[in-house]
Amino acid sequence: MKKGVLLYCFNTSQLAYSRITERCVALIKKHLRLPITVVTNFETFKFMKPMGMVNYKLIENDTKNNRAGKPWYNLERHLAYEHSPYDRTLVIDVDYFCYTDKLLKLMDTENDFLVHKDAHDVMWKTDMRFEREAMLDIVWATVLIFSKTPRVKAIFDTVKLVKDNYYHFCQLYRVSYKNFRNDYAFAIALEQIGGHRDYDIIKDSIAMVPADAKCRVLKENGAVVEWNGKVVSLEDQDIHFLNKDIMYV
Amino acid sequence: MDIDNLKQISQQSYDIALQKANALKKAESDQIVVYENHIFKADVITICLVKTLAESQTSFFLLDTNYNPVEIKDGAGFLKALIEKNQSSLNAYHQLHQKFRNKRA
Repeated sequence: MKKGVLLYCFNTSQLAYSRITERCVALIKKHLRLPITVVTNFETFKFMKPMGMVNYKLIENDTKNNRAGKPWYNLERHLAYEHSPYDRTLVIDVDYFCYTDKLLKLMDTENDFLVHKDAHDVMWKTDMRFEREAMLDIVWATVLIFSKTPRVKAIFDTVKLVKDNYYHFCQLYRVSYKNFRNDYAFAIALEQIGGHRDYDIIKDSIAMVPADAKCRVLKENGAVVEWNGKVVSLEDQDIHFLNKDIMYV
Repeated sequence: MDIDNLKQISQQSYDIALQKANALKKAESDQIVVYENHIFKADVITICLVKTLAESQTSFFLLDTNYNPVEIKDGAGFLKALIEKNQSSLNAYHQLHQKFRNKRA
């Protein structure tokens, strides 16, 4: 079975995701040792430094979405099933840094689709569940593990359906976040394809560095993060950086 | 003790609590075990159950973290893997905890 990692990377006028991707790729090579395919556009590809053995898939991405008035190019993930050249695929956000081999082990499970439901703010200042906001649990599309099966194809097709009719599904599930968000699209698709019952998840919590935190140091095995005078050191654990200043550290 | 000292102690306690909360989350995360293609958690309940079952039979059935049934054919081997994972996660947590204690002192 061919296993590999699929990354989506599109620079915006504000953020050079290609720089974050370089760090992300280096950590995947170190800790997961899996083949990597980067899905990107030509404009971003021109800014990428050589990263060794990495496959590229060049596409023209949809640029219609935005968040807080800034471009947010997140509209391709529902195509991961088609974009992936692997039988078993790990999709991760490029700002999710693997400092452990945990995801590699989870690639060896029999679950055809896995996602996290839990995340925690490493500064413990916010509740990341939003659970009473919508009528369904959010999932974190930050990390997806899937095999190519008809059921998984149905999940991705449903995500596309949700994406194309996002306003309707937001109304249906009382989702107040009106800009398209993969987390809700996958949550809705899993709910629908799962027969409105439970589905398999990774019973773990993603450590998230909040968007307004500062990354003081990026180390070989983690990071030192500061927010409002509070400093935490995170070592030997996977970290999702919502603060994009990591590209300047 | 003046108010500044009290505030400083309170601040220090907060910082330690923050580090401890993250360390505990990390320890819990480190307890995830993949065995026979299923996800388990090397926590107290799983270890106690596996130990109990492994004492009377070599193979038995267990539920993974998603409540899927799994046949464990090598109970002793599984127990060993669970204990190793549990202790390595708690060892790391213990080391961090010592750091917090030293800070408080």
